[in-house]
Amino acid sequence: MKGYLGEFEELVLLTIANLGEEAYGVALLRDINERTRRNISIGAMHSTLTRLEEKGYLISHLGEPTNERGGRRKRYFELTSPGIAGLNEMKSLRDELWANTKVKLSV
Amino acid sequence: MSNTDKKNPPQLARKVFEWWCKKADIEDLLGDIDEYFQYNLEKKGLQTARFIYFRQVLSLSFSYAIRKRKKSASYSNYYQENHLAMINNYFKIAVRNFSKHKLFTLINILGLAMGMSICLLSLGVSVAIYQSDEFHTRKEHIHQVNTYLADDSGDKTYASTFNAVGDYMEDKYPFIEHSIKIKSGFYPEFVHQGNLMNYHGYFVDEAFFEAFDFKLIHGNPNAALATPFSLVLTKSVAETLYKDVNPIGKTLETESGRFTVTGVMEDLKQTHFYFEVLTSHETYVQIKPDTDLDTDWTNFRNNYVYLLLKPGTQTETLQEALAQVSAHAAEFNPELTIELSSIRLDQVVPRWNISNAVGIGWDQPSMLFFLSIGLLILLPAVFNYTNLSIARALTRAKEIGIRKVVGAENGQIKVQFLVETVLLTFLALVGALFIFVPLRNEFLEMVRAAEVLDTSLNFDLVATFVLFTFAVGLFSGIFPALFFSRLNPVKTLKGNGFSQSGGVSGIKKGLFVFQFFLSLVFVIGAVSIARQYAYVFNNNHGFTSNNVLTVPFQEINKQVAINELEDHPDVKSVTASSNLPGIYLPGTVDLTPNESDTIDARQVFIGDDFIENFDIELVWGESKSLSTSTQNVEFVLVNEQFMQAVKVFNIQKDSLTFTLADGTKCRIAGIMKDFNFEPLSEYINPLIFRHSLAESNYALLTINSTDIKTTISELEAIWQSIDQEARFESAFLDNEIDRAYYFLKAQIKIFSYLSAFAITISCLGLLGMVTFTTENRTKEIAIRKIMGANSQNLYYLLTKDFVRLIMISVMIAVPFSYAFYDMVFLHFLLHYGPGLGILEIVVSTIFLFFLGFVSIYGQTSRIAGANPARNLRYE
Repeated sequence: MKGYLGEFEELVLLTIANLGEEAYGVALLRDINERTRRNISIGAMHSTLTRLEEKGYLISHLGEPTNERGGRRKRYFELTSPGIAGLNEMKSLRDELWANTKVKLSV
Repeated sequence: MSNTDKKNPPQLARKVFEWWCKKADIEDLLGDIDEYFQYNLEKKGLQTARFIYFRQVLSLSFSYAIRKRKKSASYSNYYQENHLAMINNYFKIAVRNFSKHKLFTLINILGLAMGMSICLLSLGVSVAIYQSDEFHTRKEHIHQVNTYLADDSGDKTYASTFNAVGDYMEDKYPFIEHSIKIKSGFYPEFVHQGNLMNYHGYFVDEAFFEAFDFKLIHGNPNAALATPFSLVLTKSVAETLYKDVNPIGKTLETESGRFTVTGVMEDLKQTHFYFEVLTSHETYVQIKPDTDLDTDWTNFRNNYVYLLLKPGTQTETLQEALAQVSAHAAEFNPELTIELSSIRLDQVVPRWNISNAVGIGWDQPSMLFFLSIGLLILLPAVFNYTNLSIARALTRAKEIGIRKVVGAENGQIKVQFLVETVLLTFLALVGALFIFVPLRNEFLEMVRAAEVLDTSLNFDLVATFVLFTFAVGLFSGIFPALFFSRLNPVKTLKGNGFSQSGGVSGIKKGLFVFQFFLSLVFVIGAVSIARQYAYVFNNNHGFTSNNVLTVPFQEINKQVAINELEDHPDVKSVTASSNLPGIYLPGTVDLTPNESDTIDARQVFIGDDFIENFDIELVWGESKSLSTSTQNVEFVLVNEQFMQAVKVFNIQKDSLTFTLADGTKCRIAGIMKDFNFEPLSEYINPLIFRHSLAESNYALLTINSTDIKTTISELEAIWQSIDQEARFESAFLDNEIDRAYYFLKAQIKIFSYLSAFAITISCLGLLGMVTFTTENRTKEIAIRKIMGANSQNLYYLLTKDFVRLIMISVMIAVPFSYAFYDMVFLHFLLHYGPGLGILEIVVSTIFLFFLGFVSIYGQTSRIAGANPARNLRYE
């Protein structure tokens, strides 16, 4: 496992985990934008998704055509085990840092 | 959601996006942005949703996701990342194709080179014009003041302005470092070694050399124009006036005063100014003491004001100041709407439309015209290339088929053809440069002030040429590329991709006709102008100019000279005149036939026997009494035009007297039949012949000699014996007249070049097409021959299509030429010319046919004369 996940990458992976079966493009985008009150563009998000897929953190598959979206299929994303491992690594790293803090961090 | 269904996302954005992504799989992405659009539609309304849609498309288009998907979509076994190898391959194939079809390559290179050469010339000139005045270091701070004037009759923008603007603004606005006033119309006539030399130049302010980067070779730039009657010469003028001597401090006499040379400057290069001499602005005031230029807010012609701004001045500041000055100027000219504006020095030329420009005033319309002439010659060459390339489809189709079968994409086939064409046009560029250089030298000699333009190959010019060549290459290559990339590999490999007939399609026919039409029009132009030129020398002015030797009197005793010269046995008669017949007359004189109305006429002073020597026909009266003029009344000759002009006023009164502006009373002794004293390009104006030897400038000797050289040297000896100082500079009148028609010679040259290029290109195209069709019909011809066709039949068969096309173009070109040349162009060139004759049209047409036949003869006779057995066996 080379390198750590970026902040946005981690966010995307966690959102995928949150949405479960319904993790596809617009759903992810809306969820992230609402939670973080950012204004991420579809392009930026798909770029990140593509990179994560290249790195092997997630896989994608096309769903069945439905009546929505003019019959166009949705691309669903799923975490892979390296993805889950990566998230865990990030979490433990973070926990470790929180535990060892010498300054009072709680608000 | 039935109502939202109708509100669709922007289709245009979707289409562009789909096109952009080509074959990449973007179904889910399209779905995503669609869904997001619907979501936004409900939340934020149609406008915002659409806007967001656009933004999302944009963000996707340049995202990594699309790049990745496009890349994986285009992956195939034969598509590698190694572009360099592919480009290498394109070049290799191109070179192989060139060497395989040498004739076609040669035809195309030659044709394109010729077509491009004229374009290169016009581009070169245009680039030079655009680069004008770039060399001034303070060009960004120097502005020319322009004047927009409007009244009831119309509006115009002038490059000139009121003279007073200069000083007024310099005094009033601190951000102006200097105003440089320039007044055109400085035409000194220097008497130099007994000769009258005419020059043209400007009256300019002292700060001229401070503001502009013109280098002085001799003299002090700050003081050169400080005093009245100081004079700065350009290098070439200084060299003609003073060989090997430093001209500084030398004086030159003119009618208006004695000038002292205070400086010699470099010859003009790359500037919009055009002058040979400069004098100080003060000089104008001294010469014309009655005009008060400094407070002149009414005359806006021929005064130019340049403002040198202090560094850091905003253009808005200048605009505001000019608006205030416009208002000030309007007080003096209540009937006019005045708007002053400014233009930066390096943008003064070329302008689209400006009146009263400084110097030559290069303008964009004439540049465009020149460029379109170039394109008119280039287009046929491009058509030829397109035609010939597509015609070769038969031979290349298999190559394309194989390429496609092994996995070449459409795009790659296109690139292949474009690379080939661009490479070919660059080869043509080399050829075009070889034509360009001599063509440019001709051009520089032909066009007035062209020597100011620097058309040597500099970086900008080369860059322009390369870009132009590239564009020509793409343009000529795009049609063959599209054609070949669309071929269906299965059909082409089976050999029935297209009709096998060697026929020429409709559009090709049209292009052919157009080419030959153009060629014929140019040829007729060249021939007919040549005829105008010949006409000029066939004694069509209305006087005899043969065997007349002209000698400028200079300072010799005129009467003695005439008497002495007349004694020479070869000299039939001697007369004198102030102006040479057949040459332009300067200026006019005012005269009044009835004390109240004035008309203007040209006047010429003549000596004894002028009318007889030149065989000028009188319709009334006689010319002998001219020399019997008295103090009270001067006898003159006039022409019929004069009588026409006078007739308007004098109905009852004696119509034979009139008064000149200086008070001289004249009486008409004879009326000359109208003739062209001036070149035939000028209208015949009212003309007065007055008798005065004192005012005459030339001795006109009618010579009848068998050995002209000896006669002239003997005459020179006589001349020198009268006055050692005076130089004997004889010239034949015919030669002098010939010089007055230099514009005709220039036109002949231009048309000859154009027609030579147009014809060559058309004939090359013809040759290419014939070669191609005959090659394709080799077997057919062989079979026909075996079946008993004789060579005549075969010639007819092979050439009839092309001959018919040439005939059609002749049928269009002849009426067109007649309308264009006879009714417009030639009339414009020479008002009293012979127009367009049948002979020229016939000669040009025969010439065209002849060249057409010559270019196809070789090919047709080769195929018609070949042994049919060999041709049938050849596969």
